[in-house]
Amino acid sequence: MKTLFCLVTLSALSFALAACNRDSGVAVASGATPAIPTTVGPVPGGGAPPAARTNPFSGNDVALVEGRKLFNWYNCSGCHGGHAGGGMGPSLRDEIWLYGNRDDQIFDSIAQGRAHGMPAWGPKIPEQQIWKLVAYIKSMRTPQEPDPPLMPEQEGIVKGTINSVPEAQK
Amino acid sequence: MKMTGKLISICALIATSLALAAAQDKGPTDVPGSLPGIHMASPLPNGTWVTPEGDYAGTRFSPLDQITKDNVKNLKVIGTMSTGIPHGHEGGPLVVNNTMYVVTPFPNNLIALDLTKPGYPQKWVYQPHPDPKAVGIACCDVVNRGASYADGKIIYNLLDANTVAVDANTGKQLWRTQVGDINLGETITMAPLVVKNVVLVGDSGGELGVRGKMTALDLKTGKVLWRAYNSGPDKDVLIGPDFKPFYKKDQGKDLGVSTWTPGQWKMGGGTIWGWVSYDPELNLIYYGTGNPGVWNPDMRPGDNKWSLTIWARNPETGAAKWAFQVVAHDAWDYDEIMENVLVDMPWQGKTRKLLIHPGRTGFVYVFDRETGELLSADNFEPITWAKGFDLKTGMPIEDPSHRSHQGYYTKGICPSSTGAKEFVPSSFSPRTGLLYIPAHNTCMDYEGTDVNYIAGTPYLGASVRMYPGPGGYQGELIGWDVAHAKKLWGVKEADLPVYSGVLSTAGDVVFYGTMDGWFRAIDARDGKVLWQMKLASGIVGNPMTYLGPDGKQYIAIYSGVGGWMGAVADPNVSSDDDYAALGVVGAMKKIKEKTGLGDVLYVFGF
Repeated sequence: MKTLFCLVTLSALSFALAACNRDSGVAVASGATPAIPTTVGPVPGGGAPPAARTNPFSGNDVALVEGRKLFNWYNCSGCHGGHAGGGMGPSLRDEIWLYGNRDDQIFDSIAQGRAHGMPAWGPKIPEQQIWKLVAYIKSMRTPQEPDPPLMPEQEGIVKGTINSVPEAQK
Repeated sequence: MKMTGKLISICALIATSLALAAAQDKGPTDVPGSLPGIHMASPLPNGTWVTPEGDYAGTRFSPLDQITKDNVKNLKVIGTMSTGIPHGHEGGPLVVNNTMYVVTPFPNNLIALDLTKPGYPQKWVYQPHPDPKAVGIACCDVVNRGASYADGKIIYNLLDANTVAVDANTGKQLWRTQVGDINLGETITMAPLVVKNVVLVGDSGGELGVRGKMTALDLKTGKVLWRAYNSGPDKDVLIGPDFKPFYKKDQGKDLGVSTWTPGQWKMGGGTIWGWVSYDPELNLIYYGTGNPGVWNPDMRPGDNKWSLTIWARNPETGAAKWAFQVVAHDAWDYDEIMENVLVDMPWQGKTRKLLIHPGRTGFVYVFDRETGELLSADNFEPITWAKGFDLKTGMPIEDPSHRSHQGYYTKGICPSSTGAKEFVPSSFSPRTGLLYIPAHNTCMDYEGTDVNYIAGTPYLGASVRMYPGPGGYQGELIGWDVAHAKKLWGVKEADLPVYSGVLSTAGDVVFYGTMDGWFRAIDARDGKVLWQMKLASGIVGNPMTYLGPDGKQYIAIYSGVGGWMGAVADPNVSSDDDYAALGVVGAMKKIKEKTGLGDVLYVFGF
C-alpha cells in the first residue's frame, strides 16, 4: 500500500515537472511572451521555478519617476492608494505578495489581472510601461522611491488643530 | 344627505375599527409622551422592522418601551450568529413573522433565522452568487446596507448592481433585475425602499465616474418602471411641469447639462448610496445624491447639477417636485446622501412639515419638505469650508481659502471628505425632540490632480490625507435640539469616529456602537451612559428593535468593522501611507490596535 502511494506521488511529481519544463521551454525557444509565462499557484511537488524575465528598467531612476506618473495615469492610485498603501485593492507597500514579488510576477499580475477585481491591463498598457510600473512598485519603502508619501507632520501640520485657517470658525 | 345619529355612530365605529386594524398592522404615528405638536410623518414599526430605517420617515424611533433607562443595565446576550464574512457589516437585520433576515456583505447571502426556537436556528440561506469582479469595483469595502420587506418578499441589492426579490417564506428567488454595469464602475450597496408597488434602488460608483441614478422597479415583476438620472437633460432627470424648486439657483432648463463642461455630465457621479424616505401623506420620496465625478473640481467647471442634491419626487412616476443642491461645484467629496428625517413639529411658532438632514458638510439642514425651503442650517462639528448658509438664496457662505484646487494642497479643510457625519443614520425621538447624530471630527489636506477616465477604474483626480480635527476627539454621539438648532450634549470618542447608526426608543434609551466595538445604551435626555458591552469587532451597523414571539422586546446589532474608514482595520491596508484608502488612513491610525475584522450578529434582551 505504501509503495503504491509512493509510486502515485512520484508519477504525479514527474508529470508536473515535465509540464513546467514544457512551459519554460516554449518561452525560451520562441522568444515570445507565452500565454502563462509564470505560475500563480504552487508547483506540485516543488521543483525548479520557471525562468524569470528581468526588468529592463531595474535601477533606472528616470523609469522610476515615469512609473510613479503612470501609477496615477492609469488610476492605479485610485484602488491601491495614493502611494500604494491599499484601499479598494491591497497595499503594495507591505511585505505581503499574494502572487509573488519577483519583477516578472508583478508584471504578470498587472498584465493578466487577478481575481476579485484587479483588471487585466495587458491589452491596454504597452509592455515597456508595465515594466516601469513594476520598477516603481519595487522601489517603495526604499531610498529610491520617487515622491514618497509625506505625512502631515512632516509638513508642519499639527494634528488635532485647525491649520492654515485665517478666521477659523469655532 | 342627512344622517341620523345612529348612522353616524355606526360610521364612527367602522372608521375607528378600520383605523385600529391599520394601527395594529403599522403602529402609531403619535407617540405617548411626545413633546406638544410633534407628529410622526409615517406609522412607526410596531414590534416588526420591515424597512431599512424601521419606518418610512427615517426616524429610527421605536414605540417599544419595555427596555427603559432603569432596566437597560440588565441587558444580556440572547443570541449570536457569525456570517463568516470578515467585512464591514453595515445596515441591520429585518424582523417580520417571527423571522429575522440578515443580508451579509459580498457575496450578499440572505440568511433567515427562526425566532420561535432557542438559539435562533437557520431556516434557510439564499445565495445569489454575484459576480466576484464586483469586489474590485467597490470603492469602500464590500458592504451592504440592508433589505426591505413587502408583499411576502425580501428585496435587496447585490454588489454587482443587481436587485433581487426572495420569497420570505421559502428563500426562493422570485426575480432578479440588473440595474447597473460593473464594467462601467457601477455597484450597489444601499438598501432599497419599497413604496406601494415601487422598489426604489440607488447606486454606488461616485469614485469611478458613473452617472448616478435612481431606478424604480415593479414589486411584482422586477421590471423597470422609471429611471431618474442625476445629470443630463431634464427628460433624463425626470424634471417636468411639476418641478418647483424653491430657490433661483436650482431653477432653469437642462441644468444637468449646462452646469458642466460638454459631455462631462456623462461621468458626473451624483450616486445614491444612502437612504430613501417617504411621506405617505404628501406622496413624496426624498433622497440625496453624492459627489460629482471627478474629485478634482478644476476638471469640471460649473455648478455640476445634480450632485450633492436633495430630491423630492413622486414615487409612482419619478417626477421631480423640488430639488435643493446643497453645495454647487463640490471641491471636497462631500456626498449628501445622508438620511432625511421627516417630522411634523412646531417651528418658530407654527407647525411645519420638516425634513431634517444632518449633512456630511457639517450642518444640520432643516427644510420645509412640501416646498424645499431651507429653514435653518447650523453646524454640529468644527467646519472651515463655510461660515454658514444664506437662507434667502439657499447658498453657503464659503471660505474660498478652503476650496480645493488642482496643483497644490489646500490644507486644514474641516470636515474631511468622510464628513462631519457619514451615511450612518441618526435617530429622532418625539419624546425629547432630539436628533441623535453619529458624528466625526476629522480634517484634511486636499489636492486636485490630473486624471484619465478609464471606464471601470477609479476616476478620482485627488490626493487626500485626513487627520483628527480640533478639540482632542474624533467621534461623538450628539444630542441635537432640532427646534432650537443647537447641540445639547455629546458623548465623545477620543481616537475613532462614530460610524454606527442610532436607534431611539419610547423607553428613552438610545442605542449605538463605536468603531472599537462598544455597544452602548445612553439616556435619551442627557446622554449619560447607562450600559455598554464590548463586542467581538468594531460596530458600523445600525441597531434595531423588535418584539419576539414571547412578546418581549429585543435589540439586534451587527459587529464587524469595515466600510470606507473601517477598512483600515484590514491587514490589506498599510498604515505608512496617509493617502491610502482614499485618504482616510491618517485619521484611522489607532484602529488596527483597537479592533480586528468581524462578522457577528448579536441579539440582546432580558
